[in-house]
Amino acid sequence: MSTSGLTLEQAALRLGAFRLASVDLAVEPGEVLVLLGPNGAGKSVTLEAIAGFHRLDSGRILLGARDITDMPPERRRISLLFQNFALFPHLSAAGNVALALRAAGLAPALPRITELLARFGVAPLADRLPELLSPGEKQRVALARALAGQPELFLFDEPFSALDAPTRAALRDGLKEFLRQAGAPSVFVTHDPVEALALADRLALLRDGAVIQSGAAADVYRAPADRLAARLLGVENILPVRLVERAGLGWRIAVGEAVLELPGSNAPHALPPELFLCLRAEDVALAAAAGDRQSASPSNLLAARVIAIRHAGALLKVSLDCGFPLVAALTQRDARALDLASGIPLIADIDPLAIRLVG
Amino acid sequence: MTAIALRRPARPPAQSLSLVLVFSLCGGVLLAFILLPLLRLAASQSAGSLARIAAMADVRQAIALSLEAALITAVLAALLGVPLAYLLARARFRGRAVVAAIIDLPLAVPHTVAGIALLFVLGRQGIIGAPLAALFGLRFWGTLAGIVAAMLFVSIPYTVNAARIGFEAVDPRLEMTARSLGLGPWQVLRRVSLPLAWRSVMTGLTLTYARAVSEFGAVVILVYHPMTAPVKIYELFLRFGVDDAAGMSVLLLLITLGLFILLRALAFGGAAPRGQGR
Repeated sequence: MSTSGLTLEQAALRLGAFRLASVDLAVEPGEVLVLLGPNGAGKSVTLEAIAGFHRLDSGRILLGARDITDMPPERRRISLLFQNFALFPHLSAAGNVALALRAAGLAPALPRITELLARFGVAPLADRLPELLSPGEKQRVALARALAGQPELFLFDEPFSALDAPTRAALRDGLKEFLRQAGAPSVFVTHDPVEALALADRLALLRDGAVIQSGAAADVYRAPADRLAARLLGVENILPVRLVERAGLGWRIAVGEAVLELPGSNAPHALPPELFLCLRAEDVALAAAAGDRQSASPSNLLAARVIAIRHAGALLKVSLDCGFPLVAALTQRDARALDLASGIPLIADIDPLAIRLVG
Repeated sequence: MTAIALRRPARPPAQSLSLVLVFSLCGGVLLAFILLPLLRLAASQSAGSLARIAAMADVRQAIALSLEAALITAVLAALLGVPLAYLLARARFRGRAVVAAIIDLPLAVPHTVAGIALLFVLGRQGIIGAPLAALFGLRFWGTLAGIVAAMLFVSIPYTVNAARIGFEAVDPRLEMTARSLGLGPWQVLRRVSLPLAWRSVMTGLTLTYARAVSEFGAVVILVYHPMTAPVKIYELFLRFGVDDAAGMSVLLLLITLGLFILLRALAFGGAAPRGQGR
């Protein structure tokens, strides 16, 4: 397996009405870069350009030391995996792997085919046609097929988008494990922030054919560059705010009628004219209205009323009215302790360190 | 294995009984309309009268000529029509709709008109027929080549349209996957696109073959002699009346039907490649 990374240098192309602006991306061996963006942002076009199906108008694509910018797809040694993994429906699992071996200029010998399938535990399914495989089995056959040609890069275009949530989560974990072992760089496209954060080492946010933010996944998650980035990352609370005054090293800001305190380190250096507060639902704690709860910053306690409660996976998402709309997330256990119900008054406790101000 | 169940096409919801009854009646009328004349025709012939017709050398020659010319037509349709079908399904070019409409044109042209039009191009004084005869001795009047030309003109839309639908049903992502695995464009066609579109291509070729065997109008105008089976039946009808014509008709029907059953078994039987999304 290769030990060289993928680099996009100012890649730009025009495809009908769509334009991919000058895109710079870099993925190291063994890393997963996730391209996250809404539909039509250019995620798939970027992936297909890396695979060689769209010619760049300008810029370069490097795979290790190789400049692959003008190479046809079949010579790039890139594995491209689509939704449902696009197994060839007219060929058995073994036939799919055999064709990949042949495509890579290798002999489609039975021991080699069996070895590849066995590596993913699907050797007993060698004679099955893809329509008789479960999604998980398809993924494993597709990975066996992908490995046949010893690719130097893996590309994934929303491979899980047609699957139900539990299957999706299971396959995602299996894929992450595989990519960590494979050692080649990979690029994964999705519009689902949960999926993106589960897989990404590096994260690039795409919108209208341009990268609006990229970096280590943890950094991008923690500090969205602007409110578009925050929305793409699934931040629940994005609220317009005003600066009131400096408070020590930090700021005092107003959201509607409420005033919040903010440590200096969380404010952007240059303040844009329009300012927004970004706050994840899990950074809002709730307490009973009567209780005298201790907080690091008493001014970040807000009187709130419960508007609506909905289930979001294991957590409950609670819509609150604090004079402005606010969404909080809490566990079922916490909800029981609070006797959570629509209409009841509560205290919302906002962690000041979790607040980010963006333009 | 619920995942397997998911892959199966969904069962249609139960239909109302009255709807099924009324629609079955409509369908039944149609089936009778097609089958009754053919069965009545077949019933008009005894084994003896069939044997008498089959013993006539010119009848046998005409049927053999029809089958041979139609086979050449189908081969030409495969060689010329399938590549065009692929382009229509995959390539995005200006005038694609115009090309598709031109391919459909023979369906709208009366076959006698097609024959006359071909005469102007391929005939003795035709703009292509004359130079081809002078340069290569290739003549379209009174020859197999002329019969094939007439058959191809009227039957090519079936191959192009069926194959195009077949190629359109192949997920482009399968072709992209094959490319990135290392197959060149021609290999992708051979190993992925063609196998997946195979049923549609064969359906189109079968239809083209059927249309070619049964063609009368265009053939009779471009090439009267040597006679194809439909032309010979017409001649028998004019010279000896309906009985002899009916005898040869039944003979032709039996042979072509047998051939189609054989063809379908060869093309679709056994481990037939499966297309996607059907």
